[in-house]
Amino acid sequence: MMGTPRKRTRKIIVNSIIAIVAFLVLAIELYPIAITVLNGFRRDINILSGQPFQLKQLTLRSYQLVLKNAGFQLGMKNSIIIGILSTGISVLIGAMASYGIARFHFRGRNGLAYSFLVFRMLPQISLVISLYLMFSAVGLRDTIGGITLAHTSFNVPYVIWLLLPFFTAVDKAYEEAAMVDGCTRSGVFFKIFLPIVAPGLVVGAVFAFLNSWNEFMYALILTGVKAKTAPVAINGLLGGETLTWGQACAAGTIMLIPVFIFTLGMQKFLIRGITAGGVKG
Amino acid sequence: MRRIMSSRTQNTKSRDALQNSRKARGRAPFLFLAPAIIVVFAVLIFPIIFSLFVSTYDWPLSQGAGARSFVGFGNYIALTKDPEFWNSLKLQLGFIFLAIPIELVVGFAAALLLNREFFGSRVVRSLLLLPVFFLPILSGMTWRFMLQPRYGPLNALIVRLGGPEISWLGNPIYAYIAIILQDIWRMWPFMFMLLYAGLTAIPQELMEAAEIDGAGFWRKLGSLTIPLLTPTILTAVLLRIIDALRVFSEVYVMTEGGPGSATMLFSLYTQRQAFGYQKVGMASAMAIFLLIISIVFALTLVRKNMSLDVLEEKAGA
Repeated sequence: MMGTPRKRTRKIIVNSIIAIVAFLVLAIELYPIAITVLNGFRRDINILSGQPFQLKQLTLRSYQLVLKNAGFQLGMKNSIIIGILSTGISVLIGAMASYGIARFHFRGRNGLAYSFLVFRMLPQISLVISLYLMFSAVGLRDTIGGITLAHTSFNVPYVIWLLLPFFTAVDKAYEEAAMVDGCTRSGVFFKIFLPIVAPGLVVGAVFAFLNSWNEFMYALILTGVKAKTAPVAINGLLGGETLTWGQACAAGTIMLIPVFIFTLGMQKFLIRGITAGGVKG
Repeated sequence: MRRIMSSRTQNTKSRDALQNSRKARGRAPFLFLAPAIIVVFAVLIFPIIFSLFVSTYDWPLSQGAGARSFVGFGNYIALTKDPEFWNSLKLQLGFIFLAIPIELVVGFAAALLLNREFFGSRVVRSLLLLPVFFLPILSGMTWRFMLQPRYGPLNALIVRLGGPEISWLGNPIYAYIAIILQDIWRMWPFMFMLLYAGLTAIPQELMEAAEIDGAGFWRKLGSLTIPLLTPTILTAVLLRIIDALRVFSEVYVMTEGGPGSATMLFSLYTQRQAFGYQKVGMASAMAIFLLIISIVFALTLVRKNMSLDVLEEKAGA
């Protein structure tokens, strides 16, 4: 085998070139994110003058300002409350529905399941105008309850389809055994089934929370002062007379923390998370 | 399992339980699905029906429901005569037809390049996905910053390379390019992610067999990889179209549809109609129009993939 060592050197060279190209692409791709994070640690004066970045510019001033900013404080608080509420409701209701679809064969089952999938893909702008009129009529506009309900509207169908593959993968024998022992259907679901699919529920909860956390249009239109979320507050920081890039970037970086933690922690489930039901199996 | 077997044969009491449960099955699926159906009805189906209703009225937002007057299809007809409507539709279609093919090509090339192990390959593959999960409003904000004249990093780069200083977001054509650029930046890794998953699912033996038969890179790509990946590519493109049809936040933060109406995509113009011009009826007609288009694409995707059957087969196997 004369060719083997030469082949191996060639492979090493090719792989090194690919590694260099790949890291270059990665650097270009992540540059805008890095700039945003970095700007959060700079003064507006340094940002607006277009000076190149220097280490001695680093400061926590923008963070101090934005964390003291009443609008952003309220937005963060609301975002966390709305995220947790809509996630809790969506995971509970979504898990029940997903179980109903995974375990029962009834008439119209396919139609129902697929309409949930279609509902997940509807454009928000098509719903937000009537939601605005409806919420105004019943006093839900600019309330935590109203925006939570709006976020639930996309999270319930989303969770149903995200959980389906987790649910259909569970062997029916566990539940059948429990039913033979006299357990009721709901008892089986809550006491036997949910603990088995706990990992799936965690994945569902994480992505449902991120959906709510990242959402902007409903929050912009359906909230005003009291129930506005952090993304709306950040948009407010950008709209003023003077551009406060430093504060907007600091606020943005704070918003990014859960996103990055979850994204990097959920590697295995990212495709499922972002396509939920849109991709085979 | 053993417990079921023994109880089935020995215990008559449990046989009753089983039969009871079968009788109860008639109601059970409904009980599990009822909460979801109620939510979907309240915040999805009812709003859609209400939108249809509103779209047949001349309904000024500021004066409340009392000032409305029935116009039938009047709003839909008025839309066809509204140059701004056609402008937003044109911009929206252009956005889709420019951004998505580029995202597909870049994502596919990256998937081919990264479909091998090298030093740091896992790190690159996972970090590449960060922009996909980047908050849309932050993406808009970041690109608005990047493209600023005087202090924006992209302009600084262009000037250093000897190019002119461009006020990207102040110029209609450049602003339109900018929102597309933003979308490509954020979403090509999405294409990459799906296509890479598709590539790794292709059996390695197939590729090796083709190599033994003397097929080169391009031959393998044309006669093996692309045909095998076609379903994945279609799915990815459909998902992106459905997503791009409703793009709003990024562009709203970047340009608010401006300058003028140069980046007034469909959702932005609908929002402007409703909450800027206060014409809720017209806006609802636009909302219904977009809804129908989105449902067509969503149904195409659903029919194509029929995920439920696939899931069952997998679970049964």
